[in-house]
Amino acid sequence: MNMYLHELKSMRRSTLIWICAMIALAAIYFSVYRGIVSDAAGFKRLLGGYPEPVRAALGISVDSITSLLGFYSMIFSFITLCAAIQAMNLGTSVLSKEVRERTADFLLVKPVSRSAVVSAKLLAAFTMIMATDVIYYLAVSLMASMVKTSDYSGRIFFLINLTLFFIQLIFLAIGVAVSVFFAKLKSVIPVSLGVVFGLYMIGAIIAAGKDNAAARFISPFKYFDMTYIIKHTGYEPSYLIAGAGIVIAAIAISYIIYVKKDIHAVN
Amino acid sequence: MNIFLRELKANRKALIIWSVCMFLLVLSGMSKYTAYSSSGQNNALFNSMPHSLKALLGFGSFDVTTMSGYFAMLFLYIELTVAIHAVLLGAGIVAKEERDKTTEFLIVKPLSRTAVITAKLFAALVEVFVLNIVTLVSSIFMVDAYNKGADISGEIVRFMVSMFIVQLIFLSLGAALAAFIKNPKASGSLSAGVLLASFVVSKITDLTDRLNMLNLLSPFKYFSYKDLVEGGGLSAGIIIPAILLVAVLSALTYFFYRKRDLNV
Repeated sequence: MNMYLHELKSMRRSTLIWICAMIALAAIYFSVYRGIVSDAAGFKRLLGGYPEPVRAALGISVDSITSLLGFYSMIFSFITLCAAIQAMNLGTSVLSKEVRERTADFLLVKPVSRSAVVSAKLLAAFTMIMATDVIYYLAVSLMASMVKTSDYSGRIFFLINLTLFFIQLIFLAIGVAVSVFFAKLKSVIPVSLGVVFGLYMIGAIIAAGKDNAAARFISPFKYFDMTYIIKHTGYEPSYLIAGAGIVIAAIAISYIIYVKKDIHAVN
Repeated sequence: MNIFLRELKANRKALIIWSVCMFLLVLSGMSKYTAYSSSGQNNALFNSMPHSLKALLGFGSFDVTTMSGYFAMLFLYIELTVAIHAVLLGAGIVAKEERDKTTEFLIVKPLSRTAVITAKLFAALVEVFVLNIVTLVSSIFMVDAYNKGADISGEIVRFMVSMFIVQLIFLSLGAALAAFIKNPKASGSLSAGVLLASFVVSKITDLTDRLNMLNLLSPFKYFSYKDLVEGGGLSAGIIIPAILLVAVLSALTYFFYRKRDLNV
């Protein structure tokens, strides 16, 4: 319990900064929403002069992206990018910081098992992610109800925001698993930014376009397809299972390796 | 000279990894080109679409069916990657002595702090230059392999020149932040935060014309890639202020580092 509280305290400030940054980002995007809706209205009038097939192909996508949910699902990819970096930083640093800050020997001589250490730290990181997502969701639903031009489904809005939590969980678990493989991690940022941006770009470049069901498994950013969620009010089961599999495997690996890991007191 | 060589050696492995990643990024990006080039947009309609809608639909302002337009789209990701490299390198090269507790070994040498920073900045300069050249060469070869239309090597060179200036801005920004911030561990996260913020700003200003003032905050938006795609050159009106910004940031690095209270 002490470890848990200590971790919470040490993560408090950075989590607060991340929450503020994410909410500010959403606020900036929502502030331009009305302008885009009016841009789109002009464009739709122009579309009227084009033949039916062209109108059908483009009109639908214009309609769907200028609805509040469509717009939100577009800007949401940048929010998930920020959230993934936060979670990955948290995951990579939570176990490795003891060695980096030369406090490992103080912690590990305490009469607690190593798995209890891992559990307390993971639980603290998990709590911080929960807090981030709950506060973010409350703020963003308030903003959405302020800028909406027509009604939208609150259930779908919730489902979209819930993916933020899933993606954070995946990256937290990946971060922890990556960090236990290093004897001493000098700096967290290069590792976490490398992994997150790497997967983000894989998602943007390789997994874009059609016929990509297999390629989408590579990048967790692509596990939750917003168009699918909006259409079916649910998630694609195969990717949900893949995400859960990654989380479970990564956490299991972290426990197994950390319990047996060679940790130097002074290095 | 010893510090310069020492820094190059210390960062050699990281530079090799980054270079391989850049090559793979260009390779994987270009391998998707065929999918875009064959999709065939309705061009007249596409061009009349409001800027904000194009950005939302993910086309950006480029015609991705042509090679230069597609490369410009891919270039944004390339530029982001090398900017991450540059900002982390700049922050790390200044902050690492304190982070790794080696300051006292370095500072007791008969060298001024100015000389230390000069050697470190030159080493970093060589590294971002190497990464830029690796990207340039792999882009030219990859684009050539997929290109069926006109040769765009000249445009790629201009793209890479602009990228080099963006790299320099982020390198000097990272170094200046690291020299200024008291806590050597925080400099990496802070400079990465600044980079992330400027990336997000560049994405937000795509959506609307009313926030164009914000582009000043984002080096990703300093150069007009639309002009480059259309065959225009780099404008001196942008390059000179950008170089000045680099000079100011480097000067600030010296200024702060000379007076810095070094943690031992």
